[in-house]
Amino acid sequence: MEVSHTMSASLPLLLSWISNPFVAVGLPRDASESGWQIDEMIRSTTIAVSILFILMVLWMLWSVVRHGPEHKALYDHGADFKSWRWTALVAALIFVVVDGDLLYRSTRFMFGTFFDFARAEATPGAVRIQINAHQWAWDARYAGPDGSFNTPDDIVVLNDLVVPQGVPVIFQITATDVIHGFNVPNMRMKVDAIPGTVTRMWFQPRETGVFEIICAQHCGANHYKMRGTVTVLPRADFDRWAQITSINSARAFDGKDLEAHWGWNWAAHARLQ
Amino acid sequence: MTSQEVAFDRQTIEALQPIHPPPTTFFSKYIWSLDHKVIGKQYLWAGLIFLLLGGTLAMMIRWQWGFPGQPVPVLGPTLLRSSGGVIGPALYMQLFTMHGLIMIFFAITPILIGAFGNFCIPLLIGARDMAFPWLNALSFWVFFLSQLLVIGAFFGDLGAAGAGWTTYPPLATNIGTPGSGQTLMVAAVFVTGVASIMGGINYVTTVIRLRAPGMTYMRMPLTVWGQFLTAILNVLFIPVLGSAALLLLMDRVFGTQFFIAGAAAVKGGGDPILFQHLFWIFGHPEVYILILPAWGIVADLLAFFSRKPANWYKGTVLAMSAVTILSAVVYGHHMFQTGMNPLLGQGFTTLTLIISVPAQVLFLNWLRTIYKGSIRLTVPMLFTLGMVFVFGLGGLTGLYLGAAAPDIYLHDTMFVVGHFHFTMAAASFLASLAGIYFWFPKMFGRMTNPTLGKIHFWVSSVGITLVFSGQLLVGYAGQNRRLWNPFEYELFRPLQPLNRWTSYAAFILFFAQLVFVWNFFHSMARGKKAGPNPWEVGTLEWSIPSPPPVHNYDAIPVVLRGPHELSDPALEARLGRDWVGQAEVVPTEATGTVPLVQRGVT
Repeated sequence: MEVSHTMSASLPLLLSWISNPFVAVGLPRDASESGWQIDEMIRSTTIAVSILFILMVLWMLWSVVRHGPEHKALYDHGADFKSWRWTALVAALIFVVVDGDLLYRSTRFMFGTFFDFARAEATPGAVRIQINAHQWAWDARYAGPDGSFNTPDDIVVLNDLVVPQGVPVIFQITATDVIHGFNVPNMRMKVDAIPGTVTRMWFQPRETGVFEIICAQHCGANHYKMRGTVTVLPRADFDRWAQITSINSARAFDGKDLEAHWGWNWAAHARLQ
Repeated sequence: MTSQEVAFDRQTIEALQPIHPPPTTFFSKYIWSLDHKVIGKQYLWAGLIFLLLGGTLAMMIRWQWGFPGQPVPVLGPTLLRSSGGVIGPALYMQLFTMHGLIMIFFAITPILIGAFGNFCIPLLIGARDMAFPWLNALSFWVFFLSQLLVIGAFFGDLGAAGAGWTTYPPLATNIGTPGSGQTLMVAAVFVTGVASIMGGINYVTTVIRLRAPGMTYMRMPLTVWGQFLTAILNVLFIPVLGSAALLLLMDRVFGTQFFIAGAAAVKGGGDPILFQHLFWIFGHPEVYILILPAWGIVADLLAFFSRKPANWYKGTVLAMSAVTILSAVVYGHHMFQTGMNPLLGQGFTTLTLIISVPAQVLFLNWLRTIYKGSIRLTVPMLFTLGMVFVFGLGGLTGLYLGAAAPDIYLHDTMFVVGHFHFTMAAASFLASLAGIYFWFPKMFGRMTNPTLGKIHFWVSSVGITLVFSGQLLVGYAGQNRRLWNPFEYELFRPLQPLNRWTSYAAFILFFAQLVFVWNFFHSMARGKKAGPNPWEVGTLEWSIPSPPPVHNYDAIPVVLRGPHELSDPALEARLGRDWVGQAEVVPTEATGTVPLVQRGVT
């Protein structure tokens, strides 16, 4: 996604809405390795339901136009087996083809990608991030050079996350006050941040760039600006960023500020399915 | 089919429902009336007024999406003087919360279930009243109390409720939404639940016990089937909502911690997800509670105005019953993003998709009913066809959301909002209007103006399709719901024009309802007098005067045939018309006499 969608001047905005309100309609750019699977099932479902809907409308139009008041109604209950078997057959056929396709693709994605934390965790160089959502910001914590969370060398950032390109980025997420929704549309990933629970998700960035984190769950008056970003950098740039930020974070570390040490033991929540 | 399938024979059922002298005082006629028809109308008024209120809130939400942060015309200078006419973020969250709760519990529910259930069930099954008339009146007044609580919530010390119609804790506890507005709304939902349970028990009992002789289950109009199944769901699942509301009230008022969990800032031993389970165990049946009565009305009206029997009646009944049962086991698809166990998620995905089988049977039956008919495009029929159109869109877009994987992207977006508005709002609204235009002559004894009705139909159904299609499209592009200003996010900024166009469509839709208001009141006073059977159909209510006497039937009818025996060539030859009453005695061709069984003697 180009971040420069910004239309600061009102004239282009005015022109765009007069000319074409549908200019931005469509799925946002997919910047992840696995998002194409979701796009594909959304698109194939769109094709299927569009066909069904058009057939339905044509059928209704045909009936209304051709079978008006002057047409003699057919006295038919459609209740004998010869008749209702067609209703049942068509319903079953649509179920098998349309729902079956969706169910197959969804299952493949959920078990083959979404819940495949084992593969993500086992990938060398995978980045692990703990998120603590609260009204109205995203606290994020990386383990730092020592590899364990809640230690002085943790990288701690607010709202603006940085991740490397081409490796799994694994999140463990919770919230301190109310339920929030950690949502990165360009990565086709979203999971709730729930007080008292640690939820998980992961994605693998395919493209570099800056992508928005958008709170998905209504979390109070300022829900609309609970905005964060995920900046995807080439691996070398990311490593340099991590090194510098870790040093900065360690310098700001305050051992007595217990509230700031909200991290947790990663392995306790990294159960592998 | 014999009358043995019915609870009572004719003598017993006559003895059970003696004709009482009609009420004489204003109080017993219009306030504490035990007449199901009056109670139905009370529900209709109560629902229509709150429909207007909920619609006004919707217009303010649409204004905010179309013109974020700009002063609201008309309403701004009068209602929002303190903020200079602008909708602020805190007010905005109250607007969408109150809009959702009012529309679902205090507008659609009283119209579709309260008004049509009360008015239609006894009339359509040949009874003189509900099984428990006193409970029926109590149900309405308890409902009225809940509406007063809603009004009270608007005057809460920190404004009205703001935690969303789903009322998820911890946001819905004092942590997120302190103030009496939220408390009053949770109380209002609890109280309206009490009213719904009373109504549900009454409907179920009435359908089981008071069907006229010969009115077997398979001869009931599908409207009654819709109400019957809805009432069963209400009785089973509203108590779950009630328990959730009560626990939430205790968290808010008495400091318990059922739904407050122990993260750093908020210490507590409860579980916010527990509320979601309780809420959606009720919440998914609820969407069918709101659509089953509409399905019933639509299935009947399609048959009536196609002048054909409803196609595969038994299949429609089975499909509606199957949906009723399945509705109880799919609720998890609302919670895919809560870190649900993968196998549980897979189970809910599969069960959700299975619902599409009975839904398609239902739909195909509707489509086959109109095929080769003799379609009369009356106003009720137009609204019915409109309902089929928007429900098609709503049902098909549900497919994406029922499966766990596409739901990752679409969850909490405007796509969800568009989907459930097409099913619960557009379809319920158009079916309600179909029902109002259809039974208006029976309710008030006069016809509505068909020209105004047709104008109302075209603007309403085109408008409603545009509004909710706009929501689907921006949701498809990712725009999340419940954002005060969606364009704070760069990703959604290009969607502003579409949001604005959608708002224009919504304003037109809203103001077009004035045509209906005028038509309704003008026709009530001045409309053409309706005979007993202006639509020329055969269900029982059309065999008695419009409006019917307080006791409905001088003699309890003996039902001889199904509800849509239209265009039967044999009967047409004998009667000279294409319809025949459900209890109409037709002389046999051979003897010209009436068989004893048809006279209800045996």
